[in-house]
Amino acid sequence: MAFKDKDISDDSSCTKINIRIVGFGNKYRSDDGIGIKVIEELEKIDFFKDVEIIDGGTSGTDLIFLAKGCRKIIIVDAIDTGTHTEEVLCIHVDDVEEFIKKDCKSLSLHDLNLSDILRLIKALGIDTDISIIGVKPKNINFGEKLSPEIENKIPQIISRIKEEINKVNI
Amino acid sequence: MVNNLNVEVSPVSRVEGHGDLIINVKDRKIEKLMFRIPESPRFFEAMLVGRKYDEPSHITSRICGICSVAHTCASIKATERALDIQPTEQTINLRKLIYHHENVQSNVLHVYFLAAPDFFGAGSVISLVETHPEVVNIALRTKKMANDMVRIIGGRAVHPIRTVVGGFTKLPTEEEMIIMRKMLEDCYPDLEKSLEVLKTVKIPDFERETEYISISDANDYALYDGNIKSTDGWEIDDQDYLDKINEKVVQHSTAKHCWANRDSYMVGALARFNNNYERLTDNAKEYAEELGLKAPCYNTFMNNIAQFVEIVHSVDDSIRLIDKILEEGLDEDKAMVDIKPGAGRGVGVVEAPRGLLIHDYTYNDKGRIEKANLIIPTNMNYANIENDMKALVPEIIDKSEDEIRLACEMLIRAYDPCISCSTHLLSVKLINK
Repeated sequence: MAFKDKDISDDSSCTKINIRIVGFGNKYRSDDGIGIKVIEELEKIDFFKDVEIIDGGTSGTDLIFLAKGCRKIIIVDAIDTGTHTEEVLCIHVDDVEEFIKKDCKSLSLHDLNLSDILRLIKALGIDTDISIIGVKPKNINFGEKLSPEIENKIPQIISRIKEEINKVNI
Repeated sequence: MVNNLNVEVSPVSRVEGHGDLIINVKDRKIEKLMFRIPESPRFFEAMLVGRKYDEPSHITSRICGICSVAHTCASIKATERALDIQPTEQTINLRKLIYHHENVQSNVLHVYFLAAPDFFGAGSVISLVETHPEVVNIALRTKKMANDMVRIIGGRAVHPIRTVVGGFTKLPTEEEMIIMRKMLEDCYPDLEKSLEVLKTVKIPDFERETEYISISDANDYALYDGNIKSTDGWEIDDQDYLDKINEKVVQHSTAKHCWANRDSYMVGALARFNNNYERLTDNAKEYAEELGLKAPCYNTFMNNIAQFVEIVHSVDDSIRLIDKILEEGLDEDKAMVDIKPGAGRGVGVVEAPRGLLIHDYTYNDKGRIEKANLIIPTNMNYANIENDMKALVPEIIDKSEDEIRLACEMLIRAYDPCISCSTHLLSVKLINK
């Protein structure tokens, strides 16, 4: 089952397959809310019943606590890699420096930026497997709705999340 | 030494969101100094119009992940005042408890992760892991404690869901209260270690007296509730904020500037400390003394030290609140009070971690919001940041351009601006030194 009430500071052992999916972003900043909208959809899907699904809101640093104590964490967020807004990206963070070299930016307006948080996780010796799945936003001005092009990407993002989970040897 | 200075720092890192500071010095005189904020439309005020009483606190909680409890409480207070709802004392005590720990979450983040790298000459918190690992570990433990406190009381570590108009949808259990008390007790060794580390830090020597505004209460070091008070000697009921707090549009920034008694004022931890020092716990006062922080303090850079002293106060006062709540016994019958939607106007004023936060709602006779006004602390500080810069730059004009750039960035960071709730782009430019 998904734990709607579980949240970012709760680093107790999550579920039997020990995978967390965290949506980050501000749902009142148009496409910045893609991470939150996706996890709202995941909670309705039976496939994810054994995965812990978390609404991370706009609190970036707390990713450190989430990364501890699970075998894999999948972050869903608006990300800017300089690619087209149409492209759904799945970045496996094997090497933080390599990730940073790609100039990937989380566009969510949190505290420390995502690169710094990933560096910090590495520097603290947390070796959880981390993947980031997202899409480049078209519009991050104030607004409740996703751009149609971004909203249309939700099924594709969910498919990529499923692929990532299936890769984990359960 | 150079006579002309032309510096742009873009972006000012380690500040929430982004903004833009431009300083142009010619023949050692400031020709142009602007802290420019491309504020987005006041979306949230417009979005609140037409909403029922139970919606605004959840919507405004999402304005910012760092100040979500503050927005929640300001919103709830505005609505309760408008609809003449009086929450129980138990509710108020629990709100004060959760409130302390958003302040701790935010102050830890700022003091240890965003400002400490400046103090230790490290480029960022990442470098601190190498040079001062214990500091980073203390920060993480303290932040985790505060997250857990907010989660246990509010149901989530950010954007709380149980804190609503009229009370709480679910109360923490007595067992959870005891667990929280233990978590707080366990913080003290880390606070003591932090004190020893912070005593070694060299805070820039810069003073400029200004007007300091915060809420204030006769019994509490006010964070959740109180009158609005100024170091210039005035104090007003929070419902009358418009009598003193003024906003104006300035040409170079779409973010409004605020003023009260003078052309600018400061809000935040240092303002609270200057107005409410006497209401700190004795322990927090001792920490302040050890760190050389005395009220009134006119050094903006000491805002970060005031934030640390507030962490100590919040831990002390939380234990007192838990003991009080446990002594009186948690009572489900006092969790919520009756709500009758209707017409009315109410103002909710709280201290967000960054300072005074005002929500002002008018409900129509259909029980819907007709008008909303939100004034956020970072907006209140903009004009004061500019005035500080105008005083600081001539004092350090003989330093190298890099040193000036760093000092300016540090000064902005000292305010702990959370620009993400008012705008989202910050860069600093120094032109023609």
